[in-house]
Amino acid sequence: MPDQDGKRLSFKLVYYGPAQSGKTTNLLALHEQLAPEQKGEMMSMETQDDRTLFFDLLPLGFHAPSGLSIRCRLFTVPGQVAHDGTRKAVLSRADGVVFVADLQRNQETNNAEAFRSLSENCARVGIDLERLPLVVQFNKSDLPSAIPQTEIRERWQSAPWPLHFASALHGEGVRETFASLLGALYRRQDEACGLSREHGLNEAAFVAGLMGTP
Amino acid sequence: MSGAHFDHDWQLGELIDSHELPELAAALARLLGGDLALADGSGRIVWGTASPGARRQAVVIELDPVATLCSASASADALTAAGELLHDLLRTRIRYRMASALHLEVVAEDFASLKREHARLAESEARYRQLASELDARVKTQLAELEERQQMLYAAERLASIGQLAAGMAHEINNPLGFARSNLGSFRGYLQKFAALRDDLDHARAAWQALDLDFLLADGDELLDETLAGLERIAHIVADLKAFSNVDRSSEAYADLNTCLREAAAVIEAQLPAGIGLRLDLLPLPPIVCLPGHLKQAFYNILHNALQAIIDSGRPGTIILSSAAEAGRLTVRIRDNGIGMRPEQLAHAFEPFYTTRDVGHGVGLGLATARSIVVAHGGKIALDSAVDAGTTVTLSFPIPDD
Ligand SMILES: Nc1nc2c(ncn2[C@@H]2O[C@H](COP(=O)(O)OP(=O)(O)OP(=O)(O)O)[C@@H](O)[C@H]2O)c(=O)[nH]1
Ligand SMILES: [Mg+2]
Repeated sequence: MPDQDGKRLSFKLVYYGPAQSGKTTNLLALHEQLAPEQKGEMMSMETQDDRTLFFDLLPLGFHAPSGLSIRCRLFTVPGQVAHDGTRKAVLSRADGVVFVADLQRNQETNNAEAFRSLSENCARVGIDLERLPLVVQFNKSDLPSAIPQTEIRERWQSAPWPLHFASALHGEGVRETFASLLGALYRRQDEACGLSREHGLNEAAFVAGLMGTP
Repeated sequence: MSGAHFDHDWQLGELIDSHELPELAAALARLLGGDLALADGSGRIVWGTASPGARRQAVVIELDPVATLCSASASADALTAAGELLHDLLRTRIRYRMASALHLEVVAEDFASLKREHARLAESEARYRQLASELDARVKTQLAELEERQQMLYAAERLASIGQLAAGMAHEINNPLGFARSNLGSFRGYLQKFAALRDDLDHARAAWQALDLDFLLADGDELLDETLAGLERIAHIVADLKAFSNVDRSSEAYADLNTCLREAAAVIEAQLPAGIGLRLDLLPLPPIVCLPGHLKQAFYNILHNALQAIIDSGRPGTIILSSAAEAGRLTVRIRDNGIGMRPEQLAHAFEPFYTTRDVGHGVGLGLATARSIVVAHGGKIALDSAVDAGTTVTLSFPIPDD
């Protein structure tokens, strides 16, 4: 449920996934590629070897035609199995989730494990996974050991979520993934937050506002 | 509550507390040429007084100003630099605050889930404890029921064996009774002949001859002997029965096991069919404190099984009953060369109501009863058996050292 105080509407979006799948890399690429009206610094809290210890945070924002300030705070969770408590706390109050999976074949069990932890933690923090805006990103498509897209699509064909392929390290597919989540977020929140009704925002304007026109 | 979350909007007052603010602001003021006012994110002055026409420098964390520096004395450059300094300080603070708040959330949640887990465990423990006590009570009532049933069956079994005994006794007594009666009938006839002699005493010698009284005298004597012997036998059987019927007299006595063995053997002996023998090899035993009636019952049960095993084999056979005092124990062996038991029969032999014979011929409680009696005397009972070779039951009792 977004933070709303009349002048401001703040959404929390969480990048979730197994360790080393490229969540932090996604945020770094977004920080570089997005140009919304407001873009904060990226805050990272990591260990020496670049593993997220608490979270990364990237704040974005723009103003709706109505004057409403719309914010998105993008978080990453720590993917390492041991940090499940932190992962759960960071996930709390999320309005949308990008699940970043690692395309490498030897990561399949880790992906599945992480997805299961996502659904369990959602249940624990009171998020209804069925209604949560969620997109799935398969990252590291540049690697030779990556599972082919066709195979992934076939396997996930009955899943209700949008699927995206990315190479976050090379900045590919990151914007598309984010745009896709923003679309889902808009559709989920439009009614409740009066985005189109009160603030003159349609889906395209909402997405464009947070991404900035490059 | 949402203010406590790590991801809420942090305010200046949460990042720099009221003790450190004056010191920090005073230092900044000195750097900025003396004039400084500090406002928080909402524009409210929290330190100093804003001079009219002062320059302003907002310090933005994430997207919004968290603080604003206002100074009339500072150059634009100095004010920007001071803003950067404060920004770095606040950014460090917010990282620290967010990390520690997150950590606290995790710990609190861990603690909460531990408490939930604990509550769950406590509840299930309570449930198990209740279950256990219910189970205990159930087992107890069932045991009591079982015991009661066993008692009833035991009584029934005893009745049956008493019935069997009675039938045997009746048969045994009937036989001597039959010939004693017929002998006495003949004897009356003899006496009538002597009466006829009295009527013809004048021709006594001729009448004596005619009545064949020499034979009557001789035979009469024999008849009386035989009858007396029969009555003697009946008296014996009755004595045995009396001894045996003492089984319920559950008083302890200082008794010789051999006496018990003899009495039990006497009862069995009376039931032995042709071709089956009973041999007693009893060595002297020290008397022990025991329940003689119960022990007799035990010995009788085992002897009865031995007899039945020989009958079942369809061959003649012998029951050998032996006793000895050896190695600090009294040992009694009852051996038969009857039909024997298969291993699975042997395994169940001491179970109440396990019988290899048809239901109704029951000796189902025989060995079970014998065992409980022996065990009650601190003794042991062992079975050794081979199919078609026979069975040996070995009982041993401790000799209390005095
Ligand atoms: N080849 C390739 N490497 C990638 C890609 N995305 C991320 N990586 C690398 O994968 C490693 C982990 O990336 P991170 O972004 O730190 O992963 P993370 O999901 O944040 O990991 P945790 O913080 O431990 O959960 C880094 O070495 C990245 O450079 C990609 O698209 N292709
Ligand atoms: Mg990371």
